[in-house]
Amino acid sequence: MRVEVLEMAEGTGRGEALSIWFFVGVLTLLYGVVLLPYGAWAWFTHHEAPTVLNNLHPTFWWGLLLTVFGGFYTLRFRPRKGSSNKA
Amino acid sequence: MNQSPIGAVAALLLTRQLTTLSPIDILILVLYFVVVIFIGFYVKGSVNTSEEFFLAGREMTAWIAGLSFVSANLGSLELMGWAGAAYQYGILATHWYWIGAIPAMLFLGIVMMPFYYISKTHSVPGYLQLRFGEGARGLSAVSFGLMTILMSGVNMYAMALVMKVILGWNISFSIWVGAITVAIYVMLGGLRSAIINEVLQFVLIWAGAALIPILGLVEAGGWTNLKAQIAKNVGSTDYTHMWTTLGHFKDNPMGVHWTGIVFGLGFVVSFGYWTTDFLVVQRVLSANNLRAAKMAPVIGAAFKMAVPFIVIVPGLLALAVLKNPDGSVLHLVGENMVNAQHPYSYNEVLPLMLIRYCGPGLLGLGITALVAGFMSGMAGNVSAFSTVWTYDIYGAFFNKKASDKHYVAMGRWSTVIGMLVSIATAYLVANAASIMDYVQALFSFFIAPLFGTVVLGMLWKRATKAGGFWGLLLGTASSIGMWIYTTYGGAAALARIALSSDARPMAETLYRALWSWIICVGVTVVVSFMTKPTPEAELAGLVYGATIIPDDGATSLFQKPIFWAIIVIIVFFILNIVFF
Repeated sequence: MRVEVLEMAEGTGRGEALSIWFFVGVLTLLYGVVLLPYGAWAWFTHHEAPTVLNNLHPTFWWGLLLTVFGGFYTLRFRPRKGSSNKA
Repeated sequence: MNQSPIGAVAALLLTRQLTTLSPIDILILVLYFVVVIFIGFYVKGSVNTSEEFFLAGREMTAWIAGLSFVSANLGSLELMGWAGAAYQYGILATHWYWIGAIPAMLFLGIVMMPFYYISKTHSVPGYLQLRFGEGARGLSAVSFGLMTILMSGVNMYAMALVMKVILGWNISFSIWVGAITVAIYVMLGGLRSAIINEVLQFVLIWAGAALIPILGLVEAGGWTNLKAQIAKNVGSTDYTHMWTTLGHFKDNPMGVHWTGIVFGLGFVVSFGYWTTDFLVVQRVLSANNLRAAKMAPVIGAAFKMAVPFIVIVPGLLALAVLKNPDGSVLHLVGENMVNAQHPYSYNEVLPLMLIRYCGPGLLGLGITALVAGFMSGMAGNVSAFSTVWTYDIYGAFFNKKASDKHYVAMGRWSTVIGMLVSIATAYLVANAASIMDYVQALFSFFIAPLFGTVVLGMLWKRATKAGGFWGLLLGTASSIGMWIYTTYGGAAALARIALSSDARPMAETLYRALWSWIICVGVTVVVSFMTKPTPEAELAGLVYGATIIPDDGATSLFQKPIFWAIIVIIVFFILNIVFF
């Protein structure tokens, strides 16, 4: 199982420290970090855009989901010292 | 495979715009561009040899190669075009994602990939050279290179038009910003940076588009209620059945018969596209070992099966939930019927649904997903073009003995030149929209016969070089001939090629592919029997029966690609039965 995980982490090439999944994590985390506070602001200050089902506060919940997903991938595949191409 | 509604999407020649972006949307879009350019510069350091530039060093894992494989085909025009097709034809459009993709992807992984992979070819034309000689390679390389670059230009223009319609962006601005960004990251990082961006794009498309079906199903009250509302709004239950309406050409809005779907789409068109189009096969060739190369298409197939959720479901939802301000059902129409009473066309389904559910922030995410799809589609075309140009045209016919460094430089330059030709094509199409239809028709000429040639080459030892070349040439010529015949021969010609006077153009494409494949195979077989067999020693590593396929290293059931392929095909059958 451990071998599989390491294989998955292999990323952008020889001698590089950043995995593809790290990029996936960082971008989705960035989006989560942008959407989550905006969604919270829109929810709690009653500034929701006039979209259908805005009473479900999709920006907030989607932002939370992206933050959790992106945070997990960023942490899981973060570059570590002495483990180039493996993290 | 899914290509045909692209032209329809691109015909969105309207002067208005649907919405505008707020600062938070622009921030999300800018973040995407920053990350993409960063990846190009970051990857550049490890892209020095031709194998690294053109095949990403052959060190991608099954997951990355698999996601990239399915993502290379998942452009934003695909999304918008097939969402529109789902509105127009109902759930029938799903066939292009399921029977029109899944069996072919699994066949590629389990049967064909070992030959592509162990022959160590750099490209599909490269395999043809090994198996059938320079003639077949030259024919397929030139046609592929030309078509790829023209298609890239067509897509570029179509997407710029979409951005104009949704956001009011200037066409030249969209073309140049997209093209320059893609040229930078592909030129710097080659296939490797194209693949990273495709994986990113796959995640982004889901992040940007998945909310539409989720919120849509909440609004409609679930799948059962959705079906009931569609039946009420369109006055028929046909829109939510995949097979029950295919008994006759007249019984379904697509004007197609089940034989066309099963044999034309499911067998020839789909297998032709997914197993021989180098644009997608190149992604799998980047896998780091044989097992990964076999698993990648299986993983891709599993994800492909899920794509209708974000493409077809929004189109179906639109049939149920889109309303006019007075509460009556909003009818979307064809491009040429848009007027004051019917302001929106089928192809605007996805943007309309996006705007319906997504406010600032989420809208930016949806638009970023479309832009990402557009750019990664261009990157796919350009990286495949530069590989085929460098190996199979320049390296095969102009300069056979250059250094590896020279070929990498040629790859980088051909990326830039290819992009410039694409831009020129985009402007050409902007001035004469009918060119687009011709380019797409050209693309359809080569795929089916090429599949005939490659599959016989891999599975039949007796196929000879002359057989392969003449089969490919006459198969392609017959496809062109049939296209001219049906284009200018009227209803009678269409009825002959597509077997019914009730057939629609979509059916014509499927049957033409089927006939041209049969002609290719027939000619290859006849010519092969008339020519001297190739010695078996020369076929080692290229043909089934003359090759010892090495063990893929799987030690347990769960590591075997065939096990997962069986799981995927079982799910495929279950889904078809559920939506029968």
